[in-house]
Amino acid sequence: MFVRDMMRSPVTTLSVGATLGEAYALFEAHGFRHLPVLDQGRVVGVLSDRDLRFATSSFCLTPHTAGDPVTLAMSTHVLTADPLDPVEDAAKIMREHKIGCLPVVDGGELVGILTGMDLLDALISLTGVTKPTSRLEVALTDKPGELARLTAYLAERNVNIHSILTAPAPDGLVHTVLRVGSNQIRPLAEAMRAADFDVLWPLPKPWPH
Amino acid sequence: MATLIHCPEYAGYDFGPEHPFTPSRLGMVLDLLESLGCPLAPVAPPVATREDIRSVHAEAFVAMVEALDRGEVERSKGEPFGLGTPDNPIFPGMDLAARWLVGGTLHGARLLMAGAEGRVLQLGGGLHHAQRARAEGFCLYNDLAVAIQALVDHGFRVAYLDIDLHHGDGVQNLFYDHPQVMTISLHESGHYLYPGTGHIQETGGTLAPGTSVNVPLEPFTGAGDYLEAFEAVVPAALAWFKPQALVVQAGADAHFSDPLGDLALTTQTFEALYRRILALADSHADGRLLLTLGGGYEAQVVARAWAILYHAVMDLPLPEALPPGWLARWKDTLGPEVGQVLHDPDPAFPPLAGHEARTRRNRDIVARLLDTLRPLWA
Repeated sequence: MFVRDMMRSPVTTLSVGATLGEAYALFEAHGFRHLPVLDQGRVVGVLSDRDLRFATSSFCLTPHTAGDPVTLAMSTHVLTADPLDPVEDAAKIMREHKIGCLPVVDGGELVGILTGMDLLDALISLTGVTKPTSRLEVALTDKPGELARLTAYLAERNVNIHSILTAPAPDGLVHTVLRVGSNQIRPLAEAMRAADFDVLWPLPKPWPH
Repeated sequence: MATLIHCPEYAGYDFGPEHPFTPSRLGMVLDLLESLGCPLAPVAPPVATREDIRSVHAEAFVAMVEALDRGEVERSKGEPFGLGTPDNPIFPGMDLAARWLVGGTLHGARLLMAGAEGRVLQLGGGLHHAQRARAEGFCLYNDLAVAIQALVDHGFRVAYLDIDLHHGDGVQNLFYDHPQVMTISLHESGHYLYPGTGHIQETGGTLAPGTSVNVPLEPFTGAGDYLEAFEAVVPAALAWFKPQALVVQAGADAHFSDPLGDLALTTQTFEALYRRILALADSHADGRLLLTLGGGYEAQVVARAWAILYHAVMDLPLPEALPPGWLARWKDTLGPEVGQVLHDPDPAFPPLAGHEARTRRNRDIVARLLDTLRPLWA
């Protein structure tokens, strides 16, 4: 999954000549929280709704007013992403720098914007919870071929896997969470236990059956 | 009295011998009721038309079902529509078979609209997972949604109540933004169980805030917690919404021995629920009630649960013993654990560990749900 798959495009922007009042109108009308500021097509800053609220608040030493230019309130140290960056790398940059968006630049031109909300969309999409699915959790031994054994077992039964997440666990195990497109995972889990898989969810029935 | 709807064509909705949603479940219930001496005179409905199906389903989806049914397209083409999966295998005649089930539920709605009947039990249907353009979870066409749409077109405000083990996602999605339809679903939490939705935050679209109500319960939730949650949420929801008809999906897979899930209700819990639903329809829905079947995959359980449902709906006294002839005829299907009586033994299973933690979580869920809904219902 690349930045270009999750970014918003086209982007609403401000020019360096825009005023804080014009920016406020855009935030209010569209629910935006970040607006890139352009100087002749080049990204020179990002104005967030928090930048604007602070710059115009009484807590600011020299509060600005609606007629002042956006350049007085915007953040000028702008980090950008490339459309072909993997989305997880973009997430890491935003987290490390504690920023809410990355303007996406291709050949010097602004082509999109990636925000924290878009990363949540990416997370939901990657974990496969956008479709009717069942959650299956299996503890695999951390050695080559175990994941292949699991997916081959499901493929033989024509069970479609919507997502796979793995997390390291103690004792040399890997906890593997799958979202699979089937309503019948309890009978499946029973068969998997018989085939020597350590199924963590669903649990066996607690009463004799 | 009430009207019973059923016809032999329902048995055509059959995904094959290995599939849990088998029509023999219906055959077993009918035979049980007849063996108990019930005066069965089911009304045979007309089959639903293509236009009826199209009232809630997308043209491309219906066209794909028909084309696959006739073998005119490759089976792999059905995948984007959820057709040809382990849950929804393709079988010849599936379009017509599903339209019979829809026809039954729709006919029940029409009886309510005509004022001919206040209580209808559709002995079949309940295909609550079917989406606008996608078959899901054993469900091809959404009979409940077609019936609800007809009731809405007639001018009724309609409440939908779903006591199946699984979230009633298809019906909820189809009417999520519809202010004339309220959907209420109690189910094992989507954090654990298919289809993964039905969370308390799903409260209706922007045009219909407060009209979608979900009560997700912890795995191994038993009768006490379940009925407590039902009482805390359902009467209040109906009192606010003031429906003119109540449509109920009465799946029996929330039973403790169901092979597809982890809720822990008994036939006694189901009886209490059925009687409460009948009373609520009278007090909160102008006495108009349409019940369908639904999920339920343990043969001996669904036969007993739905026989109890029939007796409750028809105001008949509950028999105690299961007829020996019926037990003998269905011996192979029922398995060894069926016993000799209609209800489960009491207690039905040994006490489950973690009861206190489970109850606390269930009460938390209900409290948070009501906190979210109250401002929307104000």
